[in-house]
Amino acid sequence: MSARPTDDDRLASRYAAALLQSLDLAVPAPALAPLHPALAAAACGLQALTGESDGPALICPAPLAAAADAALAALATLAPEGAFEGLAGRDLLTERAAVFGHARRGAVSPGGSCRLLATGDGAVALNLARDDDWSLLPALFERDLDADWPAVTRAVSGLRMHDVVERGRELGLAVAPVVPPPSQPPPWVRTVASARPDPRPAPRPRVLDLSSLWAGPLCGHLLQRCGAEVVKLEGLQRPDGARRGPAAFFDLMNAGKRCVALDFGSPGGRRQLAALIARADIVIEASRPRALRQLGIDAEALVRERPGLTWISLTGYGREAPAAQWVAYGDDAGVAGGLAYLMRQVHGHACFVGDAIADPLAGLHAALAAWAGWRAGGGGLLSVSLVDVIRHVVGFEAPTNADGWHRRARDWAAVLTSVNVRPPQARSASARAAAPGDDNAHVFADWGLAC
Amino acid sequence: MAKTALKPGGRFKSAVSDAQVMVVKAPAGEHELGCGGTDMLAGNAEGSGSLPADDTGEVLIGKRYVNADESLELLCTKGGKGTLVFNGTPLEIKQAKQLPSSD
Repeated sequence: MSARPTDDDRLASRYAAALLQSLDLAVPAPALAPLHPALAAAACGLQALTGESDGPALICPAPLAAAADAALAALATLAPEGAFEGLAGRDLLTERAAVFGHARRGAVSPGGSCRLLATGDGAVALNLARDDDWSLLPALFERDLDADWPAVTRAVSGLRMHDVVERGRELGLAVAPVVPPPSQPPPWVRTVASARPDPRPAPRPRVLDLSSLWAGPLCGHLLQRCGAEVVKLEGLQRPDGARRGPAAFFDLMNAGKRCVALDFGSPGGRRQLAALIARADIVIEASRPRALRQLGIDAEALVRERPGLTWISLTGYGREAPAAQWVAYGDDAGVAGGLAYLMRQVHGHACFVGDAIADPLAGLHAALAAWAGWRAGGGGLLSVSLVDVIRHVVGFEAPTNADGWHRRARDWAAVLTSVNVRPPQARSASARAAAPGDDNAHVFADWGLAC
Repeated sequence: MAKTALKPGGRFKSAVSDAQVMVVKAPAGEHELGCGGTDMLAGNAEGSGSLPADDTGEVLIGKRYVNADESLELLCTKGGKGTLVFNGTPLEIKQAKQLPSSD
C-alpha cells in the first residue's frame, strides 16, 4: 500500500465530520483509519453484489461503503467506549446477502423481488415484495395479465414512465423512476417537530421499535449496542415479515430485544400501544404516517406533549404530501436516489447496487440521529427517508457532470486488484431472537403498565 | 341505482363526499356501485348530492374494500365520508397485506 493516505482515503472521515456537524454536535470528528472508498466497497462485498451475474463485479462511483463506515464511526463517538469494537459500518451493508446467499443479478435485485424495466420512454424499478402486490397489477395496467415477470415486462414496455410511476404509487406499489441524483443533495435527517428538553433524562433510554424488515430493526440493534433497552413491538395479526426469512438474519438484527405483541385491531391493544409509546424515550417507526394516525397515534402531537421524546420516522420518501403516501423498499429507493442511473452512466447499462442498499444505510443514519437526539435531551420528530439518505451519500463531494463521474469511476478502479473484491460476510447472532409476545408480561411490569 | 361495468384500474368517486376508489378487480357484467347512498361517478363526471344523516361510514385512504366472496376489490385513493355499497350490500375492509419476508 502507498505510504501516504490520499484525499480519497480520507473521504469517510470527512463524511463523518459532516454528519456530526449537521446534527450541531460539538464533538471531535472520529479519526477513521484511511481507506479508499473503492477498497471499502470491495472489501465488504458491496462490489461483489453489483453487476451482471455472468459479468465482473462493478464499481459504483458513489461512496456507499465509506459513508456506512463514517455513520457508524460518528455514532461510536457518542456511544460508550467500545460499543462497536470490531465492527465496521460497511460490513452491515452486506450481511443480509451473506445469510440469504444473494448474489448480483444486474437489473434484478439480489433478493429477486425488484426489477429494472424499460417503459416506452425511460426505465423504472418495480418492487413486488409482497405476494399480494401481484394482485394490483391488473389495476396498474388496466387489464388482466399473467402473474409473471415476462408479462409484467411486456406490459410496462408499452407505457410511459410517468404513468407507471404515478399509478403504481397511487396503488401502493414500490415503484421508482431511473433518474439522476439531484444536483443539490437533500439533508439526510429533518426535524419535523422539536422536542421540549427533558429536565431529567433517563440514564439508559428505553427504545420502542415498531418497525420491521431491515432499516428500523438495524437502527434498534445499533442503539442496543449503545446501551439502550430495546423493545420490539409487533402487531399480533402482522408480525415482522423477516421472521419468515432465515433465522440467522432475523436473530442478528433482533437478538436481545424484548418482544411484545399487541392486537392493534382491539381498543385494548391500541391503549397498550399508546401506553408503551408514552413510556419510551426513543420510538423507531417505519410506517407511512397515515398508518399510525389510523391507529390513533399522532407523532407530531406526542413529540410536542412529551418532553424528551425522540421519534425516528423511517419512510421511503419523507413525511410530506404527496410523497408520504409512497411505498419504498431498499432496492427501489436506491434507484430513486440515482444509483441505477449512475451505473448506466459509467458502465453503459443500469443495474442495482448491493442488496436493498437503502435499508442498511438508512438504519445506520437513523441510529446516529436517534442517539444524538436522546443525548441532547430529546430529538423530537426526526424524519429519515431511505431515498434522501441515498441522495445525501451520492451527493457528498460528488462530481458535477458526466465526465466527472467517469473520471471518478476510472480513478477508483485503478486502486483495485482482483484480490480486493471479496464476497459478502455476516456476523453470527449472539443469541436467538424472542418470539412475538414472549416478553409482554415482563415489559408491562418493568414499564409500569397493567396487563 | 344505475348499473355500470367495472374494469381493473377504473376510477370512481363519490357523488356526496371526497371519497375516491380504484377498481382492483371486479366480476364481469354491470353492477351497482354506490357511496353514501348515491351512485358513484366514473372518471371526471361531476355530481352533487348529500350524505344521508344515517350513513356514518367512512372510506379510508389506502384501505382495500371487498364484497363477501372477494370477487370485487376496490382501493381507496382518496378518503371521504359514506359507506361503499356494491349491489345493495356494504363492502368490508380487506385485511391488511401480509408484510414481505424481505425486500
